[in-house]
Amino acid sequence: MIIQVLVAVISTLAFAVLFHVPRQEYLYCAINGGLGWVVYKLCLYYGFGGVVSCLWATLTLTLVARILSALRKMPSTVFLLAGIFTLVPGSGVYYTAYYLIMNELSRSTAKGIETFKIAGAIVFGIIFGLALPQSWFNRLGRLTDRKKPSAAKKPCGKT
Amino acid sequence: MPQSKEVLNLAVSMGEELLKNGGEIYRVQETVCRVMEAYDVWDYNVFVVTNGIFATVHEERADAGSMVRYIPLGEINLEKIAKINQLSREICQGHCSLREANKRLKACRQGAGVKDVTLIFACGIESAGFCFLLGGHFIDSVFSFLLGMLLQTFLLMGTKRNVSKFILNILGSAMVTAGSLVLYRLVQDILYDRIIIGGIIVLMPGVALVTGIRDLFNGDYLSGGIRMMDALLTGICIAAGVGAAVKIFQLLGGGALPL
Repeated sequence: MIIQVLVAVISTLAFAVLFHVPRQEYLYCAINGGLGWVVYKLCLYYGFGGVVSCLWATLTLTLVARILSALRKMPSTVFLLAGIFTLVPGSGVYYTAYYLIMNELSRSTAKGIETFKIAGAIVFGIIFGLALPQSWFNRLGRLTDRKKPSAAKKPCGKT
Repeated sequence: MPQSKEVLNLAVSMGEELLKNGGEIYRVQETVCRVMEAYDVWDYNVFVVTNGIFATVHEERADAGSMVRYIPLGEINLEKIAKINQLSREICQGHCSLREANKRLKACRQGAGVKDVTLIFACGIESAGFCFLLGGHFIDSVFSFLLGMLLQTFLLMGTKRNVSKFILNILGSAMVTAGSLVLYRLVQDILYDRIIIGGIIVLMPGVALVTGIRDLFNGDYLSGGIRMMDALLTGICIAAGVGAAVKIFQLLGGGALPL
């Protein structure tokens, strides 16, 4: 489990490099990705299905990304994009194509629908994560501003 | 050039930079509006879609200006987005003159970014990581690492020659699949499917999916639709590449592949 999380962190870090994330944010991105994987694995362990686990993991990722974006004064996309990739259903796309070629149509359909379900779970995870009002996160950002007097007076409200 | 035009140019250029590097629509729209307001232009209209910005200022006055920019979907570069965001924050606070803002925008455009070698290495690491996460063994991850590096090299070369993204996706996923199957023939004792999945994860439309959702749920249905369609088509292209490679391998006498 610990090795798995470490690998997830490293993979997310690699994605952060691929997406040209600013250097000083690499670490936060990686932590977010690792966290997402932990939640995913824990949910699976406690008997949630793959789709529901994906939903919870994406929700966590989105919320953490928003908190980080308020604290670090960065767009939340920076933390979200790299982290979400550990959950993207790559294996689903592969198995769908593979079974289709092997002419096992029912298994191919099942895999295809599962892929869409996982994509849908990611969609809803992000939506629920984004549904919380921005003002809560701005307040969080303002807390850190007080420590640094040079920081922004008026947060622009962009996440 | 009247002041209003200069402001319009700056604002739209900043928006263009955001959009080109993968920003969401509402971010682009808000940035353009805020920059205009910060330089005291209040009578404006901005419309942003995934591959274009349309903006006008002072329509009923002598110094009227309008601007249309076509912006093809490009490579994701979050560093530029963060920088432009910072610039727009400072402009909002009034810390930045028009000339200085233009200079910084130019500097941001020419930013060096990450070296190709680093990108290739990162891609390899990430392929290996995913291969491992999906249950591959150490040796599978090593092969995945090599294939990932090969794929990223191919992608970089293709992008520099302006090859269409769909062709790149099909050929890229076919290349990873073929490489993995050949390795499977040579070494036998590897989980070739995990290697393929690790390899193709770089091509996956995760970014288009996430950005598309954010656009859709901010009410930008057109832009969100464009992105989601992009995600769907990319997924289909990857599947086609994988499928074609497996089929050709079978026809060449590879026989049925055990799962």
